[in-house]
Amino acid sequence: MTAEPTPLPSRQLQVTERVTVDPRLHLAAIVDSSDDAIVSKNLNGIVISWNLGAARLFGYTAEEMIGKPILTVIPPELHFEEEEILGKIRAGERIEHYETIRMKKSGERFPISVTISPIRDEAGRIIAASKIARDITERRRFDESRFRLAAIVESADDAIISKDLNGIVKTWNQGALHMFGYTAEEMIGAPILRLFPEELKYEEDEILGKLRRGEQIHHYETRRRRKNGEVFDISVNISPIRDASGKIIGASKIARDISDKKKIENLLLQSEKLAATGRMAAAVAHEINNPLESLVNLIFLARQNCAPESKASKLLTTAEEELERVAHIARQTLGYYKDTSAPVALHIHDLLDNVLTVYGARMMSAEIAVDTRYDDLQKIFVSKGEVLQIFSNLIANAIDAMPEGGVLKVSSRKVFSGSKDGIQVVIQDNGRGIDPANLDRIFEPFFTTKGNLGTGIGLWVVRQLVERRGGQVSLTSSTSHNASGTTVTIFLPFAHPKDADDEKGKTR
Amino acid sequence: MLMPFIAKSTLAGNESGESRRAPMSSRAPDPESALSRTKVLVVDDQKLIADTIAEILSNAGFETMAAYDGWEALEAAGRFHPHWLLSDVLMPRMNGVELAITLRQTDPQLTILLFSGQAGISDILLEGQRRGYEFELLAKPIHPLKLIERLKQE
Repeated sequence: MTAEPTPLPSRQLQVTERVTVDPRLHLAAIVDSSDDAIVSKNLNGIVISWNLGAARLFGYTAEEMIGKPILTVIPPELHFEEEEILGKIRAGERIEHYETIRMKKSGERFPISVTISPIRDEAGRIIAASKIARDITERRRFDESRFRLAAIVESADDAIISKDLNGIVKTWNQGALHMFGYTAEEMIGAPILRLFPEELKYEEDEILGKLRRGEQIHHYETRRRRKNGEVFDISVNISPIRDASGKIIGASKIARDISDKKKIENLLLQSEKLAATGRMAAAVAHEINNPLESLVNLIFLARQNCAPESKASKLLTTAEEELERVAHIARQTLGYYKDTSAPVALHIHDLLDNVLTVYGARMMSAEIAVDTRYDDLQKIFVSKGEVLQIFSNLIANAIDAMPEGGVLKVSSRKVFSGSKDGIQVVIQDNGRGIDPANLDRIFEPFFTTKGNLGTGIGLWVVRQLVERRGGQVSLTSSTSHNASGTTVTIFLPFAHPKDADDEKGKTR
Repeated sequence: MLMPFIAKSTLAGNESGESRRAPMSSRAPDPESALSRTKVLVVDDQKLIADTIAEILSNAGFETMAAYDGWEALEAAGRFHPHWLLSDVLMPRMNGVELAITLRQTDPQLTILLFSGQAGISDILLEGQRRGYEFELLAKPIHPLKLIERLKQE
């Protein structure tokens, strides 16, 4: 509700004419036309005058109210107010913008803002009080919704920030504090650029440019920096803020931390890649091993048909060596990889024995002694092919590390790791060990310490398979004289990781 | 094709005429003539693999015969009476494990060696195990010298 009188040109004209006659008539007209309730009462609280605004506001006509106590419009529980008000008026005080509750004729209560002033006679004695009252229902409602909005903004998990068109932060909620680590005190008045990683600072110019053109930015995924320097993924919505005239004066920015979501996305992407790799490996194994077998045989036969020291024979020998490298890669990566039929319950030590048998001849010729200690009486659900691949790669590594012979210790036992029950397998060699400088990189794909003979994917595949199964793999190694060797420890939990199950469900 | 001992299958019906699996004559007789009597039946549905292995083993002094699927191999074994069966696993009509089990039942003396280029055969092997048969399995590609060495072990 506004205090502006309804424009009535003809009346205004009349008033203007009369001003010269009597200014009091002018004032009377203002009172009459005011939307505010303007009333007067004597020092006993009896209404003396009651304008149209008062009639509209309270629902009582002037006839109904003049001569009646003002208490008529005061709710009974607030009657005490009137005594205080009259007391102040008698003391010559003015009461400004006093907010309280009054009652309409209908009994409806509503908030008002009142200004009450003493009225004096010509001698200066206080004889009555004038009272200008305004309905503040709308304003209250507005205030309330504003408070409610403010409360929502404050309690939101999202960072809700406003800034001006120069990129200076104007407001900063609790969510922003939690997300970025800066307090409102630290950020209000500071450039928002502080939150941008160095390489993304150019974004702010683009953002401000769009805002000046009145454009919104929806679900923009980018990275920002926390106070502690950590850079993380966020999704932001940015909208222009306009003043009453529609001019853009700033921007509101709602940012959501999506680093967890991104992490999950990346994990999914990785396992997708792994699954794709597995499928490809299987297809490749199928298509490659057979032609390889033919090629090996054909070259062998061709060499038998050459003069032993001929150039052709030498070339064929080289071809044979190269083929052996291909065969090696195919064996290490494609061997069991695809055998991801549904997991079955089995004893881990059976699989270890299985792999040790496969490598038996090779170990015998390299004079490697095998020492096994199995204490895993409980069966575990695993994908047999994957676990065979894991052990096969590790045992092959151990054999490669002991070209002059040695002892390969293989053990399995039931353990508790954190909150999980599972089987722990330790594969230990006393071979040459891994250079400490290389230890950080050994699980990286295509990193190898075996020079030309390595594929660089054995341990990488091991780690992928173990982690996909929800397990852990760790490796220690020493190159010190007389105590060298490498120990790989694998933990496989009995429980299947839920993610892996979901993932499998999706890729099958 | 360089193979002089092309076997034709009557069971497969893809070729007419009689089976003509003549034992292969040794091209370069092995000095260790004791092995020259060892007979190996080589089975692979990839003809090139079966033929090349047969020739290599023949050159190494074995008496060989090649067959290109399980049924054909059964028929060949009836005439050839091999000491060794060297067979692929994944083959049409009759897989290597079924072939091995069938031949083992008729000839308990037969030594059996399976080889495969695929990892996805564990179901076939498990089925064999369930029936009480377990066979040595070599992974393709296997180097001819290693194969010869393995065959000489027994």
